[in-house]
Amino acid sequence: MKLRSRHLLVSCLFTALIASAVFARPALSADVTGDMLLGASKESNNWRMVGRDYASTRFSPLKQVNTKNIKRLVPKWTFSLGTLDAQNTTPLVHDGVMYVTASHGRTYAVDAKTGTMIWQYAHQLPEDVGKTMCCDIGNRGAALYGDKVFVTTPDAHVVALDMKTGKVVWDVELGDYKNAYTMTVAPLIVKGKVVVGLSGAEYPTRLFIEALDAQTGKQAWRRYTIPAPGEPGSDTWGSDPDNLKYGGASAWITGSYDPQTNLIYWGTGNPNPDWDGVGREGDNLYSNSTLALNADTGAIQFHFQYTPHDVWDFDGVNENILADIDGEKVWLHGDRNGYLYKIDRTNGKFRYGKEISKVNWATGFTAEGRPIVNPEKVPSYTYEAKDICPASEGGKWWNPMSYSPEKKMVFVPSREICTDIKSAKGERVEGKPHWGIGSIKWNKGHGQLVAFDARSGEKKWTVKAPSPFMSGVLTTSGGLVFAGTPEGEFKAYDQDTGKELWSYQTGSGIVGSPMTFAIDGKQYIAVPSGYGGWTGWATVGGGGAPQLKDSRKGGYVTVFGLYE
Amino acid sequence: MKPSVQSTTSRLVAITLGCALLLSPPGVALGRDEPKNPFDGDAAAGVEGKQLFLKTGCYACHGHEAEGAVGPDLTDDDWIYKPTDAMIFNAINRGRSGTVMAPFGDQLKPEEIWKIVEYLRASNRARKAAAAK
Repeated sequence: MKLRSRHLLVSCLFTALIASAVFARPALSADVTGDMLLGASKESNNWRMVGRDYASTRFSPLKQVNTKNIKRLVPKWTFSLGTLDAQNTTPLVHDGVMYVTASHGRTYAVDAKTGTMIWQYAHQLPEDVGKTMCCDIGNRGAALYGDKVFVTTPDAHVVALDMKTGKVVWDVELGDYKNAYTMTVAPLIVKGKVVVGLSGAEYPTRLFIEALDAQTGKQAWRRYTIPAPGEPGSDTWGSDPDNLKYGGASAWITGSYDPQTNLIYWGTGNPNPDWDGVGREGDNLYSNSTLALNADTGAIQFHFQYTPHDVWDFDGVNENILADIDGEKVWLHGDRNGYLYKIDRTNGKFRYGKEISKVNWATGFTAEGRPIVNPEKVPSYTYEAKDICPASEGGKWWNPMSYSPEKKMVFVPSREICTDIKSAKGERVEGKPHWGIGSIKWNKGHGQLVAFDARSGEKKWTVKAPSPFMSGVLTTSGGLVFAGTPEGEFKAYDQDTGKELWSYQTGSGIVGSPMTFAIDGKQYIAVPSGYGGWTGWATVGGGGAPQLKDSRKGGYVTVFGLYE
Repeated sequence: MKPSVQSTTSRLVAITLGCALLLSPPGVALGRDEPKNPFDGDAAAGVEGKQLFLKTGCYACHGHEAEGAVGPDLTDDDWIYKPTDAMIFNAINRGRSGTVMAPFGDQLKPEEIWKIVEYLRASNRARKAAAAK
C-alpha cells in the first residue's frame, strides 16, 4: 500500500512537472484588438505590426538599452528560420511570443524569451514559383489581429493562421503566380480588414492593393494601381491599350494608416517594362506613387507621383512614415530615385525633396514637386545613358527607414551607386520577365546611413560603409539607431552623431529589419539575417559592390539583451 | 484467383512510379556513361543558347551575361556539385529542389537546353581565356 502511494505521488509529481513545462510557455491567449493597434505608438513592450505603429516609424519608446550601456548588449538566443535565401522579415512580438516569417513560405511562433519554437507553418509552394519571382522567394513579415496571424505567400495566397496553433483558418488566392502575380508583402490590419499588395511589375501584369475581411478572407475591396480604360489616369499610358492590362505598378511594401483622415498611404512600383518607355508615353499613373486610399472603400482620394514615366526602374513603392512636424501632418518617403520627400498627408501637396544620394537624372523640381528630367540621363534603343545617379535600387532601396518623433529625425539606409543603361524592345509574354533592357552596368560605389532633420530635410550626419545598407532601421528612445550590413554585422549608432557604438556578426547578410520588445521588464532587440534578394546591382557588369558576390546564405533570428 | 495483397501492392507501386516518371520532366542519367552535349564547342549553338537564355528569362535571376544576381554566377568554376554537361542539363530541365531554381523542361526542348549549356560553357571558356591574358 505504501509502495502504491509512493508510485502515485511520483506519478502526480511527474504529471505536474510536465504540466508546468507546458504551461510555462507564454499564454498565447490574448487577442490582438483594434485598440492595441491604434495605440501601438504609446505602448512599449510589444511590436504588433511590421512598422511598429500605424505611422510606420519603427521607433520604440524603450530605453533600457541605451547609449550608456550598449556595450553590455549580448546575444540571448538564436533561432534557425529553416530556409535559405532572402530573409526580408520584421519579427513581431505579442504577449511574449514572436511571430516571424521566413523565405520559401515559412512562418513560426517562438517563445520570445527563450527562442523555443511553439509552432510552424510551411506553406506548400509549387515547384516552379521561382520562375515568376524576379527578386527571390522572400517575405517581409506577418500581421496580427484577433486570434489570428496573417501572412502572404510567394504564390499569391493570403493565409490566416490560428495564433495558438498555426493551423490554417482560411486561405485565399489573389492571383495566378504562373503569370507573375506573387506576394512578399507584410499585411496591414485596418478596421478588421487585412490589406495587402501584389508583386510582379518585372512581368506583364496589372497589379493591385486588396482588403480582405479578417474573419473570413472575403474581399472587401480591390484597388488596381493602373486605371481601367476610361478611368482618370488611363490616358497617361500612350496609345497601346494593352499597357493598361500589363503596366505593372506593384504594391509590395506595407502601407501606413492615419485613423484621423481614415486614409491608407500605400506605395506603388515601376511601370512595365522597367527600362523601356517607348509605347507608354505619358506619366503612367499610378506607377511610382503614394496612393491615399479611403480605408473603407479603397477609393483613391489623392496621390503623389515621385517619378512620372519611369525609365530607370526607380520603383517608388517604398514606405511612407506619417509624422506630425511643427503643426503639419506629413508623410516622409525615401525614394529609389534618390530623394527624401516630405508630403502633406491631408492633400498630397509637395513640401520638399532632398537628395539622399547623388542625383543627376533630374535637375530639381517644379513647385508642385514634379522632377525636372535631365535628358542626358534618359536611355533609349540607340543611346546608352552613362553614369545615371542613383542606380535603379537607389538612393534608398526598399529597406525601411526609421523616424524618431522625439528628435524629429529620420534615418535612411542608402547607397551611392550609379549606372549605364541602354534600353531595348522586349517581347511581352505573360509569365515571362519583360524589362526592356538592352544593357545595364552598375558602377562601383559604397553604402551609407544618412540622418536627416525631418523638419528641413537637412543632412545631419552620414556613415559610410563598403557595401550598401540593405537592412531596415530601428530607432529607440535610448538614443540608438540599429542597422545591419550585407556582410552580416548588426550595428548600433548614436542618434545624435552617427558614431558606431556596438557591433555583432550575425553570420549572414542582414536584408530584413530589426525590432525591439520587452518581457518581464527586460528589453530585447531582435534582428533577422540571411543574405539574398535581387542583388544584380552588386555584381552585374562588374557591379556596384562586387565584394558581395557569392555572399554566404543563412536564415536566423538573433535576439539580444543586456548582460546580467 | 484473387491477387495477393503483396502483388496488388507491388502493382500499385509500379503504376505509381510509372506515372511519376511519365509526369516528371525527362532528365538524363548521370555517371560514367552520362551523355555529352551534342553541341559541345559549336559556336553557333552557343549564340543561339544565349538568345534562349534571354528569351526564357534566365537573366532575371542570373544576369544578362549569366554572371549572377539573385541566382549564382554560371560562368565561373565555383559550383557546389561538379558541373558536367548532363548535370547542368538536369538543373535547367528539372530545377533544383529547395532553391529558387525552377524547372524549365516544360518550356524548352532538349536540344534548346543543350544549346543553353553550350552558351554557359562558352562563357566559362571565354572567362578563363580573358583571365589568362
